[in-house]
Amino acid sequence: MNLAVLPGLLLAIAALLSTLAAARAETPDEALETLLKEARQQCGTAGQSPDRLERVVCGKPLRIGVRDYYPLFGTRENGVHVGFEPDIAHTIAQRLGVTIEFVRVNAATRIPLLGEDRIDLVLATMGHTTQRDGQVRFIRPHYYQSETALVGPKTLHIADWDDLATRTICVAVGNVSNAELVSHNARLMLFDEAGVLPDRLKDETCTLAAQDDSFFAYYFTDRAFADRFEQKFGFAQVPWGMGVAKTGSDKLGRALDLLSQIFHRDGTFLEIARKNRIRTTFLERQQQVWQRPECNTAQGSANPACVLPALNLELKPTPFAGAVESAEDWIEKRLGIDVTLPMLKTAPAFSLFLNGVANSLILIAGSLTATFAFAIVFGFTLGSEFPPLRWLAWLVTMTLQSSPIVLTLVIAATFAHALLPYSAGVALGASILALGLTNGSNAGQAVSEAVISLHREGREKGMALFVHALGRSAISIVAFLINAAKGTPAASFIGAPELLGALTDVSSFSSGRATIYCLVLIFYTIVVMIVVWACGWLRAWLEGREVKA
Amino acid sequence: MKPADMWGDYVPSLLGGMATNFEISIVALLLGLAVGMPFAALRFYGGRLSVAFAAIVISLMRAAPTFVVMFFLLNVARDVSVFGMKLNMSGVMTVAVSLVPYSAAYTADAGLDALRQWDRGSPLGALLFLPNITRAFFVIVMASGAAAAIGVPEGISVILREAALLPSLGDRLVVFAIGIVLFGVPLQIGLALMRWLQRELGRRLVGA
Repeated sequence: MNLAVLPGLLLAIAALLSTLAAARAETPDEALETLLKEARQQCGTAGQSPDRLERVVCGKPLRIGVRDYYPLFGTRENGVHVGFEPDIAHTIAQRLGVTIEFVRVNAATRIPLLGEDRIDLVLATMGHTTQRDGQVRFIRPHYYQSETALVGPKTLHIADWDDLATRTICVAVGNVSNAELVSHNARLMLFDEAGVLPDRLKDETCTLAAQDDSFFAYYFTDRAFADRFEQKFGFAQVPWGMGVAKTGSDKLGRALDLLSQIFHRDGTFLEIARKNRIRTTFLERQQQVWQRPECNTAQGSANPACVLPALNLELKPTPFAGAVESAEDWIEKRLGIDVTLPMLKTAPAFSLFLNGVANSLILIAGSLTATFAFAIVFGFTLGSEFPPLRWLAWLVTMTLQSSPIVLTLVIAATFAHALLPYSAGVALGASILALGLTNGSNAGQAVSEAVISLHREGREKGMALFVHALGRSAISIVAFLINAAKGTPAASFIGAPELLGALTDVSSFSSGRATIYCLVLIFYTIVVMIVVWACGWLRAWLEGREVKA
Repeated sequence: MKPADMWGDYVPSLLGGMATNFEISIVALLLGLAVGMPFAALRFYGGRLSVAFAAIVISLMRAAPTFVVMFFLLNVARDVSVFGMKLNMSGVMTVAVSLVPYSAAYTADAGLDALRQWDRGSPLGALLFLPNITRAFFVIVMASGAAAAIGVPEGISVILREAALLPSLGDRLVVFAIGIVLFGVPLQIGLALMRWLQRELGRRLVGA
């Protein structure tokens, strides 16, 4: 053996061993140990502005913000915090070798408390969104994922989005998934608080309700509820993240990243979830991910192939959103009126608003035309000298008179959807038909009574008599035309995308309900007054024809 | 749909729900009378300005669509405080109040007509106010079905809830038909009563 190569060989072996050692240090466990060791070494030194990790490993308690009324996830029983999140907090504390102090937080206070350094960590059902990325440093990987669960009776067949068109779904105002429900043509019934939804399902006010699955998880532990209801499907997944402050928590955040990786890989999160009886599907999937060699490294939490992205909920603003906000501020400052115009500030809301106005006008024009046309048809058939035709028209008129307008709309929509797939046009068409039939049959009855009275008076027959009868019943025709225009907002009940429905959809995912409904009321009142004015002209014209006749 | 389910469950629920429709309508009519009659008096006895004011208010009330007023009350009026107290109207009350513009406008018109008849020395003519109000009541009963849109458990809600659970179009149509019959019977009786009242009063008017 040539001794001259020996130093080179030794160097190569040393380099190899060093590389292997470095590779071994890449595991999250070892990276965590190194980090903790370095943090402990800082204890007793007079370092300025220590990282929160150094503070807690050197004896200060880890202050964790948790919920205290979120069943299964974080509640307080006899002064003790229990649930999935407090259990995770205890496990973190145990692994870091620190003490903890729970601080009660809610959705509104959890981020401000972190910013004010009154807590070190948020572990409180916080969804990771791109908007919150600017306020909080989220721990990756996420410790849970919720989704919006659509819950309904077991007896009701709902498999996917196609089955939701025109169905009414009860939701809480402000839920981020409402916009998605709207985009699938579902009608929303809004409630201020999610807490009432299970009761509204139980008392059958709501057939379907949509809310976070973590919210429904508690109710599904109630056997009576679980026997009657089931989750139909889930959507709008939101990853939940622990959060630390964006400054002064770099090392704490890093330690928690590594711990989360370890907890996923080793099934610790999964075990805690099972203990607390919450859904484990996400955690089972995550365990598989974090056991993969490319993810089970110290850098795994920064690997886009391993971690989930934050949910992006930002809606595209309109080009004039800034001007609208300035106008709102100006009105508030000068007039003291708090006006919010969400329909003008984001592109989806503005689109819904414009379509709503256009569809309302189409609906009103269509309903007026249909009412007038059906008034002529019913007037002619009810006054017909051919008895079977007259009886049939009478039967239809009686049926339509006996059906509340909302029910007539629903029946029209049921027939329309049995024949055609749902679309805005079909819903508008069904609404026009229902409003036209209801009001036209009533107006037609007045026309037929005029026909009969003219017969009795021995006036002329045929078309001249009919025109004369239209003039004589002009007051009734006009009254039912106005009634048809006033009834158009009810079309929102069957999913016609008119202004009331469109702005109800906008208000389900944005603020400003007071302004929205004031505007809808003003819009419809003005439109109906215009119809009343126009009908005055029609009445004068019809009565003029009677005088001529 | 099995007949046992229909008669044992659906029909009693529907009748219970319809009781809420009548409750809503009675409240709406009474409030409408309370609001509408002063306007009728204002139009009849008032000066030019007060007549114009009353006419404008009545036109606005006549033009306001019930469905929109209901959503307005539900979303806006709940934040309104009267003498420091929040209104906090129940669902039933919200629907009843949303029907008041119609009911008050109708009462104001019919009331004005009755006052004119009375002034002309025709008390029987003035009594035509009663069949007119009966007609308004039944219109309100039918319109109260709008309550289904805000989750009030009335008749239409019961019909829709039952229909939503049925897979076949035929079964749903049976449910709708029963609803129409149960809503239609009191309506047609009411309208017949109104026609009888009008005929009787008309006969006496001619006799007088």
